[in-house]
Amino acid sequence: MISAEHLTVTLNGRAVVRDVSFWLNTGEMAALVGPNGAGKSTVLKALSGVLPSGGEVRIGGAPADKLTVRGRAERLAWLPQTRPVAWNLMAADVAALGRFGGAPGPFDAMGETDRAAVRAALEKADAAQLAERPFQALSGGEQARVHLARLLASPAPVLLLDEPCAALDIAHQLLLMAALQAEAEAGRTLIVVLHDLELAARFCPRILVMQDGALVADGAPEAALSAPTLGDVFGVRRGAGGRLERAVP
Amino acid sequence: MSRLTFALALIAALLFAVSALVGTAPLPLGDTLAALAGKGDERVRAILWELRLPRAAAAFAVGAALGLAGAGLQGLLQNPLAEPGVLGVSAFSALGAVIAIFFGFAAVGSFAVPLAAILGAGIATLLLVFAAMRGAGSVTLLLIGIGLSSLAGALMSLALNMAPNPYSLADLVNWMMGSVANRSWADILLGAPGWVIGAGLVLMAGPGLRALSLGDETARTLGADPRRIRLMVITGTSLLAGASVATAGTIGFVGIVAPHIIRPFVRHDPQRLLIPSALLAGIILMAADIAIRVLPFQQELKLGVAAALVGGPVFIWIATRLGRVSP
Repeated sequence: MISAEHLTVTLNGRAVVRDVSFWLNTGEMAALVGPNGAGKSTVLKALSGVLPSGGEVRIGGAPADKLTVRGRAERLAWLPQTRPVAWNLMAADVAALGRFGGAPGPFDAMGETDRAAVRAALEKADAAQLAERPFQALSGGEQARVHLARLLASPAPVLLLDEPCAALDIAHQLLLMAALQAEAEAGRTLIVVLHDLELAARFCPRILVMQDGALVADGAPEAALSAPTLGDVFGVRRGAGGRLERAVP
Repeated sequence: MSRLTFALALIAALLFAVSALVGTAPLPLGDTLAALAGKGDERVRAILWELRLPRAAAAFAVGAALGLAGAGLQGLLQNPLAEPGVLGVSAFSALGAVIAIFFGFAAVGSFAVPLAAILGAGIATLLLVFAAMRGAGSVTLLLIGIGLSSLAGALMSLALNMAPNPYSLADLVNWMMGSVANRSWADILLGAPGWVIGAGLVLMAGPGLRALSLGDETARTLGADPRRIRLMVITGTSLLAGASVATAGTIGFVGIVAPHIIRPFVRHDPQRLLIPSALLAGIILMAADIAIRVLPFQQELKLGVAAALVGGPVFIWIATRLGRVSP
């Protein structure tokens, strides 16, 4: 469904992403993990077309650089790590922007189908009760849920999420991961940047591990998060009871 | 049409009618109404159709254009203090008009002055958007606006000094403190293309302005091309501001006050802000123009002065609150 071949991103003369290749099938959900500065967010930005990149990205079989802005939006939705909202919009209007490509109007002015999709997305993100509240009056976690609803409201088959768990309490993190799992089961393809390796291993059947701009492991959780990878990439090891702890040499 | 838009349109229509009844020449109500229907005394008809109605129409058109330009620029720059007057766009537009008039380009055709005014507005707007894209915040943009206004003022003086034609300081004052007195239907017709095309462009960019609220990058992934939106709003607001300045000179602050009042009523949505802001700004300017006709001054107060007297304090009030409350 989405693939990257020899993906390379250079920022200010520095290769932030180097020769990354992977291929995700329809309905697959992969966690993208790695230490700070590994290039995870940059990979998502390159896939979503926000940053120019070398190599080839294909979405649904089509070369991404041949797609128009609209065409790419129909195929792919992106939840960035930093999520500015310039005006004090209603939460429902922020979520409704997820369907901007087909329905550019505000929530009230949308057709019934689009409105129902936005409502369902708000429901999934546990943000239905926030719909009629001004966005800037919401707490950080509530805002994160509305942003998530925006993403889920999108009709795009590919979803890219950059640290969706940040600012969420533990219950909402679990709810979010379960919601994403349901999206994958419904046929969407997802790449989720996560910092919590336990959460990644528990919910994602596939893990992509990045280090210094390169993809160093790709596979099922047990294989991708093997002891050598944990040690080399993250500087941690499994201690007593399987808990992760710092591997101080 | 929302209820808000309908109510504002109704008030605008009422105020337009009141405009016909108010002026320096005391006309009996019956005669005025007869003249409005195209009957009655010829002098009354002339005063009504050649003086009062075009003046009211000009006040409304200029106000609405500035209100729409203000709301559009605010949406684009994501700054509630943006407006053609404050950002120096109107001043540059006036500079364009002055150059066209005093260097004889106006002789080429009557369209030369509005065209030069639009060009001046376009240059200033481009510069501002360029600064905004490089990350300039509210304060920087306003400082650039102050710089542009002062520069345009100085260049206007310079242009008048160097102009081959005889000039007077009064001309400069006329451009810097706008007025709609003695405007004819022909003047309005000259501004009309700029207003109509400009309004069309800004309104078309409306949905994109809401998408841009989530930042350029996200907007792009939503299917809204930031470059296209920016181009439409820059061109649109330049046309609106340029045509307005060519008709009435520079009138500041209406473009800030109207969107600020409207915003809470449209759920802070930059798209739904556009039309009500235009209507309200048109209403404000028509009302201000009625007021200066009624006020018992020896020499009529300039419309730009009246607008600034009301708008200036509101601007300062918004600016002081800006750090504390999000728009």
